[in-house]
Amino acid sequence: MAQPWTVNGLTPDAVFRSAAGRIILTRWREMMSYQDGTLAGADIEELHAMRVSSRRLRAAMDAFADAFPPREFRRYLREVKRITDTLGDARDLDVTIAHLDALLVDLTPIDRPGVIGLMSRYQARREIETTHIASLFAQLENDGFSTQFEKWIAKHTGVKVTKLRPAPPEMP
Amino acid sequence: MAKPRPVRGIQPSRRLRPNARKILAVRIDEIYQYDGLVGDPRNITELHDMRIAFKRLRYLLEIFGEAFTQDLGPFLDEVKRLQDLLGDIHDCDVQVPMLVAHLAWLEEQESQSVAAMLIRGQRASSPDNSDVALAQFRSRLNAARRADERPGIHTLIAQRRSARIALYEQFTTQWRRLKYERFRHRLETALGIVTS
Repeated sequence: MAQPWTVNGLTPDAVFRSAAGRIILTRWREMMSYQDGTLAGADIEELHAMRVSSRRLRAAMDAFADAFPPREFRRYLREVKRITDTLGDARDLDVTIAHLDALLVDLTPIDRPGVIGLMSRYQARREIETTHIASLFAQLENDGFSTQFEKWIAKHTGVKVTKLRPAPPEMP
Repeated sequence: MAKPRPVRGIQPSRRLRPNARKILAVRIDEIYQYDGLVGDPRNITELHDMRIAFKRLRYLLEIFGEAFTQDLGPFLDEVKRLQDLLGDIHDCDVQVPMLVAHLAWLEEQESQSVAAMLIRGQRASSPDNSDVALAQFRSRLNAARRADERPGIHTLIAQRRSARIALYEQFTTQWRRLKYERFRHRLETALGIVTS
């Protein structure tokens, strides 16, 4: 699993509101760093990493909900939830297909046709999920969601993403 | 899915640690409210809700870890272990009905294929030789049927059910151990929610 990015400037004596901004923006940037790889679709681990990051982001938003006006917060959380759910549907299928594929080796010839048939049904569904992911990101792009979200976080926490410079973990 | 209980008295302009304590205290309590309910393996919803409660706590420990001086890593490992076990149980609980539904889908596909085959057969001319005609009919019928796909699905269902029993046994063992080792008290002490 991809390691979470370090949250720059987060100290043990941080103020709740400021910590909210730093953590949420870091998780947001972390998640979006996997967007190109997810859309390319060449490596299923890119989507996995993006989904894990989106869950971290969602958890951070839940944790710091009190730092934001409730109505606006619900709207942004709904969008983040949509990202998590869309990625989750595709990821669940990736995991299931890989699991069935791994089982094939040990199955008897009688059992194989059923598992192969099930896999092809899931693969067809997975292709549909790819189009869902592409249209979701296209919509977020058209709506300028990224800029809106970052500005909204800055407005309520005083943390600007440009000052934060969230950094990916160092490579070993 | 059970909604998280609201946390009262959060003060965003104050420091992270006292606010984190309030949130974590409620989320820890949420896990333990399922204590009596997960003793029955048939309580699928409660087991799923407890998994969500563990997941919430796990993420919160990761998020708020920076605010506490004590190393929360060992607590996080325990929470993750239980969350993973409950997650595997949930996967079985979801997959078995999906596989049963897949069997029904196969049957539906099969009846549609056979019906289409019979209509085609009525339109086409049959060979005069009844043995040849019967052989052709059998061949088309076998192609339309998907009976050969069923055994594998039944095997998967049996595997998942068997795995579920073993996973539940592991979960109850781990959960009893955590209670025996006074996990809650140790965690709440580490977080400063209670004093030892």
